[in-house]
Amino acid sequence: MKVEYLPHTADIRMRITAAHLQELFHVGIIGMGNILKENFCLQDYPFDQKLKIEITASDPTCLLIDFLSEVLSVSCTEKGIFCKVIFIEFTPIKTIAEIYGKHVFGFDEEIKAVTYHEADIFKNNDGHWETMVVFDI
Amino acid sequence: MKIHKTDINKVTDYIWEIPKSFRPAMRVPARVLASEPLLDDIMGDRSLVQLVNVASLPGIKGAALVMPDVHEGYGFPIGGVAATIFPDGAISPGGIGYDINCGVRLLTSNLKRDHIKDKTEALSKEMYAQIPSGMGKGGQIRLSEQEMDQVLLKGAEWAIEKGYGKKEDLAYMESNGRLQDADPSLVSAMAKKRGTDQLGTIGSGNHFVEVDYIEEVYDETIAKAYGLCKDQIVVMIHTGSRGLGHQIATDYTKQIITAMPRYGMQVPDRELACVPFNSIEGQNYFKAMCAAANYAWCNREIISWEARKAWANIFGAKVEPLKLMYDLAHNIAKIETHLVHGEKAQLIVHRKGATRAFGPGFKELPQDYKAVGQPVIIPGSMGTFSFVLAGTPISEELTFGSCCHGAGRRLSRTAAKKQVNAPVLQEKLKEKGIFVTAGSYKGIAEEAPIAYKDVNMVVQTISDSGIAKKVAKLRPVAVIKG
Repeated sequence: MKVEYLPHTADIRMRITAAHLQELFHVGIIGMGNILKENFCLQDYPFDQKLKIEITASDPTCLLIDFLSEVLSVSCTEKGIFCKVIFIEFTPIKTIAEIYGKHVFGFDEEIKAVTYHEADIFKNNDGHWETMVVFDI
Repeated sequence: MKIHKTDINKVTDYIWEIPKSFRPAMRVPARVLASEPLLDDIMGDRSLVQLVNVASLPGIKGAALVMPDVHEGYGFPIGGVAATIFPDGAISPGGIGYDINCGVRLLTSNLKRDHIKDKTEALSKEMYAQIPSGMGKGGQIRLSEQEMDQVLLKGAEWAIEKGYGKKEDLAYMESNGRLQDADPSLVSAMAKKRGTDQLGTIGSGNHFVEVDYIEEVYDETIAKAYGLCKDQIVVMIHTGSRGLGHQIATDYTKQIITAMPRYGMQVPDRELACVPFNSIEGQNYFKAMCAAANYAWCNREIISWEARKAWANIFGAKVEPLKLMYDLAHNIAKIETHLVHGEKAQLIVHRKGATRAFGPGFKELPQDYKAVGQPVIIPGSMGTFSFVLAGTPISEELTFGSCCHGAGRRLSRTAAKKQVNAPVLQEKLKEKGIFVTAGSYKGIAEEAPIAYKDVNMVVQTISDSGIAKKVAKLRPVAVIKG
């Protein structure tokens, strides 16, 4: 699994890749958590927040963006950063998941939204799942 | 898709056009308002590709437009204007943006530059102390559910009723600080939750509070009408609807992506997702957007109250309080009447990073501005100039009554952080008499002047094209950021 941050004039453009579709979602929240607070999800904090979320969408790309949007929303309301996900149910158009995070006092970066712009999940030449995610900053 | 300069026709020295024939999906031409050097700069990112996409919106009229401060966004370019036909043309949350009614206001004082010289640093620190800023930080006000609904309905009026503002401010706000179509019942519980503790906060990113002095007056008559004069100290506030607005845009973009196929609408980018304005989904979004716009006006009114408190704490209660010169939205959709091919038409005007710039006689303007036109406030980057302009009838002919909203970003945040040493920049600005108080060095580096276009060029283009007149140039003395 891999997260890369690419140039964008005003916002943050993140390319994520993973061997499995579910793993791509996990990479997504790690990549987003590390924007909210630098390298936060690379550290071994004990989690003190746990939430269950359920998302349905018309395709896997929308499912990923809607999933990340929901995680972002609860990060803002719960004032926490979520770095781990356990899927209770996962299909290309529906997921029920438990997300685990840690309370923080403020973020390094304010993400206004997870956008659908340039998001398009596909299998790359290495046989891995890949997509771009652009965050409105 | 690549756009080359040979694809662009010169219409005038300041208007460039990508014809409708450039791509079959385009319903109208794509027009760029820029001088040639700015056009060359604009071609450095994907702004024009995004503009061409906007030109394919169902029901779009006239032309898809961008202002000289345009830069690449995430669907619509930032600095764009798209007008669709009322009542069944498209409404697109992407054409307004996630920060609904992000906007700017200017407060005037009766103090001159010399009066505050020795107190600038103290004022900067007091403003920073009084005005909550930064990522995920809440303010002093906690809204109950009932209070939240009142804020969403009444906008700035709520702040005034509760003693956080001045009644006379309302006349000096776009739409008098309240959109009547707001419906709080169409705002999600999550959006309301996110907005509970964020009134009176500026947030982070490019949002700020700035103290400036008027370095130059270009038009004495208009400046006098606006209450501006040389060396006068003014305060500028730039922020929007915070997490509440972000959540409303997120909620409705998702709903509209799902609903769009039912109306046979297709767009080249999901962030342009749209539905007919008069559809249920279109109306629901519009009424929720109006509620977020009201929250933003209430937010800027409360921030003004905090700034007024800081002002009184530093200069004493006997000094005349700050007076609102004007407040403008630059991320919003409004129903307006404009000429399309010589005929009057009611339109849904999307402004994303664009400011309304109506000329003299506009009925909403306060009496003292009616003869000179609506004020247009153009913040520059931190450490450079900002400008006050006045709208003209030409903007109504060329740009659906719209103007630019800032200098326009040209460097990514990552590139800015690589190129800028924030402590050094902060010290250099201090040597120039500009005190920057910020929550982090990262924020200073990202918003460094080098990250933005030359605001002088952007404003000169606006002025030369005739869509707004230069009134005054402002130089910062204190910048407060998250």
